[in-house]
Amino acid sequence: MTESLNVTVDRREGLAVIYTEGYINNQGGEEIAKEAYKLLDEGYKALLLNLAGTKIVNSIGISILIEIIEKMLEIDGKLGFCCLTPTIEKTFHIMGLAQYAPIFPNEEAAAAEMRA
Amino acid sequence: MEGSAPAGRAVQAWDELLALSRDEAGERQLLERLLDLWRQDHGATAAGLYLENGEALERQAVVGAGLPEFLEGDAAMDDIGSLRFPGGRLLFAPRRARLEVSPDEAGLVTSDPLTLLLASALKNCRLKQDLKEQQFQVNYRVVELEALYDVGLAVASTLDLDRLSEEILLRAVSLLDARRGALYILDEGRLEEGRYRLAGTFGGAAAPWFDGKDPELRAFLTGGGPAPAHLLPDTRYLLGVPIEVESGARGLIAVADKESRRGVGPFFPPDRRTLSLFANQAALALENARLHLQALEKERLEREMHLAAEIQRQILPKGSPLVPGFQVTGWYRPARQIGGDYYDLFPLRDGRLGLVLGDVSGKGMPAALMVSTLHSALRLLLDQAVFGPVLLERLNRHIAESSAANKFITMLLAELDPLSGVLHYMNAGHNPAILLRGDGSVEHLGAGGLPLGLMSEARFQSRAITLGRGDLLCIYSDGITEAESPLEEEFGMARLTDLLRRSRDLPLAELAALIPEAVGEHSQGLPQGDDQTLVLLRRDG
Repeated sequence: MTESLNVTVDRREGLAVIYTEGYINNQGGEEIAKEAYKLLDEGYKALLLNLAGTKIVNSIGISILIEIIEKMLEIDGKLGFCCLTPTIEKTFHIMGLAQYAPIFPNEEAAAAEMRA
Repeated sequence: MEGSAPAGRAVQAWDELLALSRDEAGERQLLERLLDLWRQDHGATAAGLYLENGEALERQAVVGAGLPEFLEGDAAMDDIGSLRFPGGRLLFAPRRARLEVSPDEAGLVTSDPLTLLLASALKNCRLKQDLKEQQFQVNYRVVELEALYDVGLAVASTLDLDRLSEEILLRAVSLLDARRGALYILDEGRLEEGRYRLAGTFGGAAAPWFDGKDPELRAFLTGGGPAPAHLLPDTRYLLGVPIEVESGARGLIAVADKESRRGVGPFFPPDRRTLSLFANQAALALENARLHLQALEKERLEREMHLAAEIQRQILPKGSPLVPGFQVTGWYRPARQIGGDYYDLFPLRDGRLGLVLGDVSGKGMPAALMVSTLHSALRLLLDQAVFGPVLLERLNRHIAESSAANKFITMLLAELDPLSGVLHYMNAGHNPAILLRGDGSVEHLGAGGLPLGLMSEARFQSRAITLGRGDLLCIYSDGITEAESPLEEEFGMARLTDLLRRSRDLPLAELAALIPEAVGEHSQGLPQGDDQTLVLLRRDG
């Protein structure tokens, strides 16, 4: 278990995948936002957050993810999540994230849907 | 704004604003259009609308360049003017922009319609933000309830203590927006000390254990004192609660450094209640897993005890050996599944018969292990050595060297020559055997040395008696003579001797059954307190 969040990005044709490893809290959320906004500046309008390496997220992290979703909606972009733990998936549904950002069971399904 | 052209532009702008206000998705455009109109009207190059967020100002919309996205406190702004609105500010550049409003920073006093519209729009932003925040908090309360419910479900579905500990810790840290956390559970191996061992940590190191009775820790857990310094090193704000079940404390859970968008701070009073509710659920889950582990351990021990009892039965004689002119039998009933008494009847050289009855101090598994040691060593020595004190002294040394300091064995070992009727015996601290002579007189085969295992250099004596026709020898363990009645009266040697005398002519197997029956009647159903063992030998021919 680690306090900090590691973020890596895979830039693909028409889709960028952001991989997280660790706690999505204030610092972790800011790291994701920084990468996401950088990708938007680069012209990407479809972002996929693969949370396979994340077991835990707090309310600050969720609020930052909501801000990213709002930003994506403003520019008519797409944001999706994949590979969530059951606990995080349930949390995202309750907090309303799933209403605006689809949740996929795996990266393949997400990539196929988001490129469409 | 004078003349028909400006009036026409105003009407057009008004229609445009009305259209934007009807479009829910056009909120930002509406703000930007309003700001743009305000900028033009007031000769500014840039204007921005900011909401107060604590000590900071957060930009909602902007037109033009040069205005910051965030503003902390009362930071100096070069050539930037400011108008205070309820719940926020309008910032504009350059500062010299023409204002038809009061520059009074204490409040907005203006009749300028655009400024009033901006103030109203900002208020609308504030209300929307508040509503959004409230909706977020309501949703997050549902997440908290779900977490409590999920841990409750885990009580019924998860019995893996390590997995449960991790789940509980992760949930607590995330629910309370903490940066770090640690979970301690009562150390089963150090129950008397009430020591808590670290079961899991998140975000950094934690103290490996805690004395559960430490007054500083107890004060912290009840909110009456600061956290022990080494609980979660390098943290500033800590919150901890005990994990308790009805029967007592089971551990503690601690979290540190509550996060907000501006960094970390202390926890709030409701956080203690939330963590306590969570700890209550966690306590049930942990207790359930602990009891399950205990049940598994008990089952394992029972299986081992069953196996040990089977091994012990294997070392007892399978039947009574045939000895010309004699009847011999043995009987054994352990107080528990396995016992510390031992007897054996075995053939020796030249048609002789060996008889032994031993009683290991203590009960249960340790005593049973010593019985096995005694049995193996005795059989080996009897094959190699002549019956006599040297044999017993070698056996004693072996027992003394291979057993714990406070363990010993009382034993009566005898060798019968059926032809002559001579019985050599050695009594190592055992109860005197009862010899009921054919003429009704009684002799006792008393001690000829210390119990085995007490002193490795102990010496023993061998004695000899001759058994005549009708003589009955009874070797027994103290579980028989010391069996108590409900009035705490022992069965005693006198009752045993009397019973032997009255039943001396019965077949030995019947007599061997009568004795435990009489002891049982004496005890009147009280649980058997000690192992009971008998060896009977009678000369019939």
